[in-house]
Amino acid sequence: MDTLLLARLQFATTTSIHFLFVAVTLGLVTLLVGMQTAWFVTGNPQWERLTRFWGQLYVINYVLGIASGILLEFQFGLNWSGLSRYVGNVFGAPLAIETLVAFFLESTFLGMWIFGWHRLRRGVHLALLWGVALTAYASAFWIMVANAWLQHPVGFRVRDGVAHLTDFGALLTNPTLGMALGHVIAASLLTDGMLMASVSAWHLIRRTADFALHRTSLRIGLVTAALSVSLVQGFGFAQFGPVGDLQPTKFDAGPTADARIAEWTTRFGPGDYTPPVLSNVGLGFMILIGFTLGCVWLLLPLLWRDLVIRLRFPLWLTLCALPLPFVAVILGWLAREVGRQPWAAYGLLPTDRAVSDVDPGLMLASLIGFSLLLGTLAVTNWTLLARHAARGATDPALGRPPGVLDDDEPRPARAFA
Amino acid sequence: MPLLWYALLGLLFAGYLVLAGYDYGVGLLLARRDTPAAHRAGLTALGPFFLGNEVWLVAAVGILFGVFPTLEGELLSGYYPAVAAALAGVILVTAGVQQRSRPTGPADRRRWDRVVVVGSALAVFGWGALLAGLLQGLPIDTYGHVAGQSHLATPFVAATGLALLVLVAAHGATFLTLRLPTADAPVTARLARRLLAGSLAAVTTAAALGLLSDRVRAATSQPLPAVLLLVALVGALVAARAALHRGRPGVALAATGTTLALPVALVGVARWPAVLVSTVDPAATVGVTDAAASGPTLQLLGWLLLPLLPALLGFQAMCWWVFRGRTDGRAPVYW
Repeated sequence: MDTLLLARLQFATTTSIHFLFVAVTLGLVTLLVGMQTAWFVTGNPQWERLTRFWGQLYVINYVLGIASGILLEFQFGLNWSGLSRYVGNVFGAPLAIETLVAFFLESTFLGMWIFGWHRLRRGVHLALLWGVALTAYASAFWIMVANAWLQHPVGFRVRDGVAHLTDFGALLTNPTLGMALGHVIAASLLTDGMLMASVSAWHLIRRTADFALHRTSLRIGLVTAALSVSLVQGFGFAQFGPVGDLQPTKFDAGPTADARIAEWTTRFGPGDYTPPVLSNVGLGFMILIGFTLGCVWLLLPLLWRDLVIRLRFPLWLTLCALPLPFVAVILGWLAREVGRQPWAAYGLLPTDRAVSDVDPGLMLASLIGFSLLLGTLAVTNWTLLARHAARGATDPALGRPPGVLDDDEPRPARAFA
Repeated sequence: MPLLWYALLGLLFAGYLVLAGYDYGVGLLLARRDTPAAHRAGLTALGPFFLGNEVWLVAAVGILFGVFPTLEGELLSGYYPAVAAALAGVILVTAGVQQRSRPTGPADRRRWDRVVVVGSALAVFGWGALLAGLLQGLPIDTYGHVAGQSHLATPFVAATGLALLVLVAAHGATFLTLRLPTADAPVTARLARRLLAGSLAAVTTAAALGLLSDRVRAATSQPLPAVLLLVALVGALVAARAALHRGRPGVALAATGTTLALPVALVGVARWPAVLVSTVDPAATVGVTDAAASGPTLQLLGWLLLPLLPALLGFQAMCWWVFRGRTDGRAPVYW
């Protein structure tokens, strides 16, 4: 096993796990903002209960997003020290901005939001959630700026083998950025629309308590999913143009791709410059899932007089479709990232120069160790999510009034004796 | 200019050790055989601060990547085992603290508590090993190639890792003395005083091993300030113990916090102006200006990030202010 393959596998594993959780985070926080704002404006306690129920699932899901995010950030230095050595001057800037502007603030706000129920004024508490949402979007933006730069490096000049920043504006107007960012955000909303609709569908199928609450969730989920699936398709197909021009080797072989490969062969020496077929297969399946999920539009007319609930089978369909958006986001990510091979930065820095010069044994230990760690945590997190989703909105720990005793633990006067 | 950024990097990492230090300290103290209620009380004391504390690490690494890209790659991959251990620990603590109270069964919660204990120990030991490793230099050549990882297997590295563990535990106990209801304070204060005495012994041992190590002596270019900072560290330990004795937990927490910030300052100052000392080739030693990104990048980040720092610190301060004071029956419980 060589170090490069192991490092790539580790990056793929970590990114995939990270993506499964942050896709939920980004979409769910958007819907939560809507719910809590509705509560603030109307004062209807139903919105508070919705915010607490979905907020608790959001907070549980957030744990793995942050854990895998920290690991990803360190992985650039641990496994890809060539990336920071040769292109760190340019690529590092958006990542540094992301950590301070977004990640740092997002966590600070979220900590106050979780513990701020019944403690802060309602307006301040709502503002904190808005802060969490805005920084989450800022985070997605800066990460996509960094990723778009790896897809299509711009705004730099190479001096002594090292890239130096010349035009930061070019990073922000990168043609591989805009549509991809829209696509990712819409995909997150789609994932969450489906998640919300499926969890509610399960409750409605089982006829648990809180019919009105789950009916509202189901409607919000289905409408969100329908609107965002069209956006996903639009932003997705809009990317074929720029990708075909700028990354001709990514999805198709043809004269442009051949010309580019010939150019690289003269500049970097002979080598295999075609990406693995995996990226194209992933793309095909993702598009198939995208069209399948488009059928959610057919369910919208059934919202009339609650036909969607009374007919039962639409609930089952919704529930069964839950894995689809998750599979699709992974496939989409694989298409974008594997399609960049063999480049760390397309046409500029090959992966074998970007990888760290560490012993394969150490890299293998790191791959196995961190994959097991993150994989186990992901599975336990999903188990927790499923349990809390199934428990329903009767009494979530999030936003519980102070002084109410928790579950099974009476609190004595002297706790630490 | 690079000096300012280097100071900011140090400030963020020191801030991380001080703030997340009491998270890990409280985490380590979960190893004590206490009632489930006591464990829950410790986590409630961390409560709203927990999420805002660990992101100081994220910010430090962001600055490391954006401002010192050369240093980032060589530092992290050069000290791979130490960084990986710390990172695994950070992940375990993050997941453990936040998920610990979601299952309601006591057995599940005990299992998560053990995850937090192991995670805290790994994280603190890993960062201690990294700081010690920086002080004794890295066998790195001019191509950035590091010969193996056995350079970390020295008594000094182990002693520093252990010393940081005891320091962090003492810091955690001091935090609980300040934050738990008044009735619990004497118990945790006694524990903190015992741990501070242990820290004194552990720090002395690590310092002695450092002074005896040829590699540490060779890498140290500023011996006098380094020794002065070490003396200040010992002074802060003594001050913390005295403050606890006089029933001033706030002062004691400031002092134990200082004991966690000073090692970072010491590592930065002792090797100045080098940021990464090579033990095999003096030409491969990285200075602070060589490590920094080129002019336009620094300028961009300076204009974009430095004006933001007051806002970042302001929101953190808001969190401390809103949730100040001792926890009581009305404190929000979630972790």
